[in-house]
Amino acid sequence: MTTPARARLLDALRAAVGADALLCRAEELFVYECDGLTHHAARPFAVVLPRTSDEVVEIVRACAKAGVPFVPRGAGTGLSGGAVALADGVVIECARMNRVLEIDPVDRVAVVQPGVVNADLSKVAAPHGLHFAPDPSSQLACTIGGNVAENSGGPHTLKYGSTTAHVLALELVLADGDRVRIGSRAGGEPGYDLVGAVVGGEGTLGVVTEATLRLTPLPEAVETLLGIFPDVVSACHAVGAVIRSGLVPAALEIVDRRTIEAVEASVYAAGLPLDAGAVLIAELDGPAVALPRQVERVRALCARAGATRIEVARDADERQRFWKARKGAFGAMGRLAPDLYVHDAVVPRSKLPEVLAEICAIGDRHGLRLSNVFHAGDGNLHPNISFDRRDADEMARVLAAGTEILELCVRAGGVISGEHGIGTEKQDFMPLLFSPDDLGAMRRLRDAFDPDHRSNPGKIFPTTRACVESNPKARGYERVSFDA
Amino acid sequence: MSAPVVASGAPPARVLEPRDAQSLSEAVRELGSRGEAALVRGAGTELPEGNLPARADVVLSTLALRGIETLDADEGVARVAAGTPVEALRDAAREVGLDVPLDPPSARSTIGGALAAAAQGPRSLGFGRARDAVLGLDVVLGSGERTRCGGRVVKNVTGYDLAKLYVGSLGTLAVLTHAWLRLRPVPEMTQVLIAVVSDGSASFEAALTAARLPGASAVALVDAPLAAEAGPFLPEAGEGRLVLIAELAADEPVVAAGATQLAASVGAERASEDAVALLRSIEGSRGEPRFADTLRFRVTSRAARLEAAYGVLRRAGAHVVVHPGLGLLAARFHVDPDAGTERIDACFAAANASAKAGEGSARLVAGPAAARAGRDVFGPEPEPRAILSRLRASFDPKRVLNPGIMAGRIA
Ligand SMILES: Cc1cc2nc3c(=O)[nH]c(=O)nc-3n(C[C@H](O)[C@H](O)[C@H](O)COP(=O)(O)OP(=O)(O)OC[C@H]3O[C@@H](n4cnc5c(N)ncnc54)[C@H](O)[C@@H]3O)c2cc1C
Repeated sequence: MTTPARARLLDALRAAVGADALLCRAEELFVYECDGLTHHAARPFAVVLPRTSDEVVEIVRACAKAGVPFVPRGAGTGLSGGAVALADGVVIECARMNRVLEIDPVDRVAVVQPGVVNADLSKVAAPHGLHFAPDPSSQLACTIGGNVAENSGGPHTLKYGSTTAHVLALELVLADGDRVRIGSRAGGEPGYDLVGAVVGGEGTLGVVTEATLRLTPLPEAVETLLGIFPDVVSACHAVGAVIRSGLVPAALEIVDRRTIEAVEASVYAAGLPLDAGAVLIAELDGPAVALPRQVERVRALCARAGATRIEVARDADERQRFWKARKGAFGAMGRLAPDLYVHDAVVPRSKLPEVLAEICAIGDRHGLRLSNVFHAGDGNLHPNISFDRRDADEMARVLAAGTEILELCVRAGGVISGEHGIGTEKQDFMPLLFSPDDLGAMRRLRDAFDPDHRSNPGKIFPTTRACVESNPKARGYERVSFDA
Repeated sequence: MSAPVVASGAPPARVLEPRDAQSLSEAVRELGSRGEAALVRGAGTELPEGNLPARADVVLSTLALRGIETLDADEGVARVAAGTPVEALRDAAREVGLDVPLDPPSARSTIGGALAAAAQGPRSLGFGRARDAVLGLDVVLGSGERTRCGGRVVKNVTGYDLAKLYVGSLGTLAVLTHAWLRLRPVPEMTQVLIAVVSDGSASFEAALTAARLPGASAVALVDAPLAAEAGPFLPEAGEGRLVLIAELAADEPVVAAGATQLAASVGAERASEDAVALLRSIEGSRGEPRFADTLRFRVTSRAARLEAAYGVLRRAGAHVVVHPGLGLLAARFHVDPDAGTERIDACFAAANASAKAGEGSARLVAGPAAARAGRDVFGPEPEPRAILSRLRASFDPKRVLNPGIMAGRIA
């Protein structure tokens, strides 16, 4: 962009949102250079903080006129580089669009602006006996807009499903500035399921400016078990047995020995035995009459799989203590080194034991501090690597290990992301799973919403260069750069 | 050159039945290059759901794509070819304690057909939406490419969720050839309860409460004349009364608690019949000749507006089954075979007025071809038209698959 063009765009943005909602100085832009994936950074041209969808329309129109891309952003807790503006783009931060517009306890529906923080919505719904079921570990910070864009999950996704199961309708500002409403509160609207396609669209299909969400009743009763296992393999076998038994727990989470050590050495210490090879947190919820028997069944299955100790939380405090190990894991791991790479991949649940053993071996082979804390019931792995990105050699080993982990998961019948999305992090691994024609079908969706690729360009689809270089499977395919 | 579908509703005589995904892909390309259009069909013996096709030169049947390729009981997932009957998969799944969370209207419905139509039935209350049962799909695009999306695992955000787009697209973007489905454990116990209730607000509230009981797997309110049709299986309701049918499927103590609650609130009694089969026979499936002189609509409504939407339909003379937990009303209008278009227009107007009252939408799901001719069975123009048209144009640029049947009659 020429200097006058830059000035014109800044003027237009200022006119759209006001001077107090426009950031364009280097020191202001610094914090917007990355999301939770700290080693993928790029400085945006400017950041705007709209309060209304009318302002979003104005911003997007100004960008369209200037031929500049834009990137919707929530809290920036994403872990795949999704909220980073490539190509000198404008970041549209939705944090100020944080109003809960309506809670309807009869329809069990909430209408919210995209900047509402996940946990805040559940707080507002609680007096009605309802909550928003998707519960990412980042829920105290992350926004509904980010949840919708990433189709986020959480521990309770096992029973309640990812975000997509909870979105009924959206208002969306398209890249040309058109505002559309898709989906409906009553359901059954004619035409294609555009809501289903936009959820998980990673901000590439437009800016979500309002969401109509399904609220879920708070369970009448909750029981939480903590199983101590000699090793992670036996904990995985317990998970397999529970799934096979026909029980549908609310959550089945595993924390491995390496994580336990880090947690117990940190402020998040939950009093876990340091000699435990792995801990399984199994949560059951539902009608009080159903739970006692289910608890006994889970207990028996854990014992048979080799649990050395099984505790059942006696009260809310103890439940919280059990969860502390799980929820504090990222914080504790984050203290081990300046950077934490939270990986995300999925394998069939029956493959968990062998895949986990191999993942640990990969970490060891590369001399890395790798630990695992994951949504075992869904087969959703989170190998975490503590590292220092300033150490070029270590960074290279982190990336090499990451590649091996993804290839391993795909070989096991899995996929390369269960909840964090593709973003810039994994775009060049997409050919591990998808042929050029498969990706071509995805492009058709993109083009129907955003033919000029102005909404969050450079994400999801493989880049020409890296793809051919890093991906044996990609060699020989003709690849078109996705975003010029 | 164009081949309009005859008003009798008969599909074209020429039938292609590819034996595998590759030949299906070749057939679609071939049709495209000849400028011909296909009616994509699973088990259907009549025209596909939706609008009358703009043209149809051949029937493209998925029936030869048949078979359960994987049934992984440990994982609770299955891979199945699109032409496989849902019931065949259900039978196989039941043997290992699992069920298929799909409830299409006919026992002969195929997996592909049930997904393409996003079919709903009474048990969708417990099963959830068809789209949520799908983990991955193999499809042949309208432009002929064989592609896949999703995978076999139960949680996945690898790329766009194209499966959501294909489910419910009535085969106008792609032909489904294989699906990875998530199965679900068969609940420990199933019980059906029936009560006769008054036709008023209290009953709608009670029915919604019933549908929200833990373990509720199907709940419906049936109006008196329809209940009478079900003959000896349902109690005599009497004028101004409704029959509440509730199926509970869960752990034994949960079912027992629900039954106790329903007995206390509406005097529900245990029934021996299969409530769901009853509901299906009352609502009927599309092809049945006994419904030749009816127009049947599906109206959706917000939970809070169900009674209002119901009232509009009843006052217009429709017979109605309400599925409160699904926000759904199944309405049936009697229409004389030689009735003029005014009568048909009046039925559409009533269905649309009901949808308006419910803040939902209405679609004609079955009726003689004459009722579909020149009308959009999905009601008012779908939004956003530009995106819907672009999707159709890019997935099926030569308009091979079911042209014109989608909402808005998008070619
Ligand atoms: C400690 C930690 C724990 C986490 N745990 C989980 C977890 O358990 N499960 C999980 O799924 N994720 C988890 N995450 C990842 C992250 O929190 C989620 O992806 C979250 O949904 C992102 O929300 P956000 O508001 O921070 O979005 P951002 O990071 O700001 O953006 C994420 C993506 O959403 C898009 N976007 C944001 N707002 C909009 C909008 N209004 N319209 C359109 N697109 C938009 C952006 O363009 C970007 O592509 C975790 C992250 C951290 C740091």
